[in-house]
Amino acid sequence: MSSPSADLVEHTARFCRRLRAQGLPLGPGDTLDATRALGSVDLLDREDVRLALRTALLKRLEDSPLFDALFESFWGGSVPVPRNPPVIPPDVEKERESRAAASQRKRSVESWQELEELAVPAPSSREALGREDFESFGDEELRAVTALARRIARRLSARPGRRWKLSRRGEQVSLRRTLREALKTGGELSALTYRRRKLRRTRLVILADVSGSMDLYARLLLQFLYALQNAFARVETFVFATRLSRVTEELRTSGYREALGHLSERVQDWSGGTRIGESLSTFVESWPRLVDRRTVVVVLSDGWETGDPEVLGEALALLHRRAGRLVWLNPLLGSPGYEPLTRGMQTALPHLDVFAPANDLASLEQLARHLSL
Amino acid sequence: MREEIQRIQQAMEREGYVTDRAVATAVHLSMTLGKPLLVEGHPGVGKTEIAKVLATVQQGDLIRLQCYEGLDATTALYEWNYPKQLLHIRLQQDGDRSVAAREADIFSERFLLKRPLLAAITHQGRPPVLLIDEVDRADEEFEAFLLEVLSDFQVTIPEVGTVRAAARPSVVLTSNRARDLSDALRRRCLYLWIDYPSLEKELRIVRTRIPGIDERLAREVTAFIHSLRRMKLAKVPGVAESLDWAQALLALHATHLDEELVRETLGCFLKDEEDLRTVSARLDAGELAALSSP
Repeated sequence: MSSPSADLVEHTARFCRRLRAQGLPLGPGDTLDATRALGSVDLLDREDVRLALRTALLKRLEDSPLFDALFESFWGGSVPVPRNPPVIPPDVEKERESRAAASQRKRSVESWQELEELAVPAPSSREALGREDFESFGDEELRAVTALARRIARRLSARPGRRWKLSRRGEQVSLRRTLREALKTGGELSALTYRRRKLRRTRLVILADVSGSMDLYARLLLQFLYALQNAFARVETFVFATRLSRVTEELRTSGYREALGHLSERVQDWSGGTRIGESLSTFVESWPRLVDRRTVVVVLSDGWETGDPEVLGEALALLHRRAGRLVWLNPLLGSPGYEPLTRGMQTALPHLDVFAPANDLASLEQLARHLSL
Repeated sequence: MREEIQRIQQAMEREGYVTDRAVATAVHLSMTLGKPLLVEGHPGVGKTEIAKVLATVQQGDLIRLQCYEGLDATTALYEWNYPKQLLHIRLQQDGDRSVAAREADIFSERFLLKRPLLAAITHQGRPPVLLIDEVDRADEEFEAFLLEVLSDFQVTIPEVGTVRAAARPSVVLTSNRARDLSDALRRRCLYLWIDYPSLEKELRIVRTRIPGIDERLAREVTAFIHSLRRMKLAKVPGVAESLDWAQALLALHATHLDEELVRETLGCFLKDEEDLRTVSARLDAGELAALSSP
């Protein structure tokens, strides 16, 4: 491996910073790796350079389009970056980088605040629902949601799995422990120690609609998702409006406010239109093995589909076939007189195992019943 | 292209692994940077093969750890050889040694069963290739444990002490994305995504791996499988399925596809009842010719 020039190191570091500013999870070690990787390929060969940087810096397939676009723009190409911030030429980029990132963050936070403002309901709808709805949510309810999420998590974890733990009585003899005991009696296996299977847990995949029509419920649902994500390790959470984003990591971050902050940074189409079908297809295509017989898939949406209902039907049919259970939670279902007549809901109904309301705590409480397989 | 990368590509092709620059570059970097290579892709695109070929190229042994849910340290790292321990205790029982000394005896390296991870660490001679297959099927706890092993290639066995690798093995991890792997593990690795091959590449794979196959048949098989990948199937056929099918057709002395033949051999590449129905319906509609031309 030849040692790369200072220029190259500098340039690579800048490229890494740029990727980081776009949200790729890169640390200083990765910059070093990238430089070393460049040191072991032919620098005059553009394809070599691209592949080397890609291997060292790309950590997951989802970031691939972003990486490719940034590579093109940074290492002398002309393809524009497919995200909000404009492409800034490399020479002035350095100074602007931090400012641009800061303003972007601010923008998202603002839109989050807007969302919260929108979530104030019209009085009539509140009366119609009769019970305490999601919008009037305080700290106490937050605690209640957390407790509920814990209960649900416990329910999900109650099946014997593959791993073992020692116990007084059990299914199998633990040889390691028994042998140790036998030493005292000269190899006589007088007292057996047993082991039994640890409990196995169901996996939960949640696909939550955060589009405009769901604003009223978004806050409580997010609080619920946040609580669930933290109470239960095997839950994957995605949100969508026009585009699907995986937010599992964001929700895992400590602190509800902080998690919200991360979310609004990551998710850029809060309260836009709704393409349920397309979002679900994206999920089915990009995460094919996330769903199996022991997975409960929960779609949280009011079913106001602005895309092609046929796409929605296909995606749901596939999910229904693969998942242990397909649950659709519709906040509107809790209000008296609501009937699932939207085209989206009509297409969806034949494929669902469970269609249930989700507009208040009581309905979420009911949810626990549907979640254990 | 750097010469070494070219050489890896050639070596892989010699082993019957049809590859491209991205794969060869990733393997090359994994070797020169000494970092584990995480390979993701659909089932049946040849992720596991990379490790096998790498072992051949490096002339090292291949040590494989197949992951599954519930995999734990006793299966992945080490276990004590209980029957042997028991026998030893019996043989020694009349001796005047203390319990502590006898315990030290039976919990020594002689009584240790080395599972893949420990085997890779204690391997003598040329550094082996450690294949951690389908790491996404193991649970998060195991992933955390794996991370520890991969970061410094040493393990501590309470009864024996710390064992350190003499020479670091090359590590290849594969994942089908059954669940998302942690950022920590990803950060530890170089990353390679293998997509389904292009029509030309797959055709080359079929020709290379099934030498006796009729040229026309090979073309039709690959084109047909490519058409299937564009349909929405529950179990999309991978390259492994193309090869199985081509092999079966060769055994039936076929030189081209006809409807009856395809129907009889659907099971070679369709592994889901619904998919069988979907594809049968397309055949009923007389679409064989359309499906089996590029």
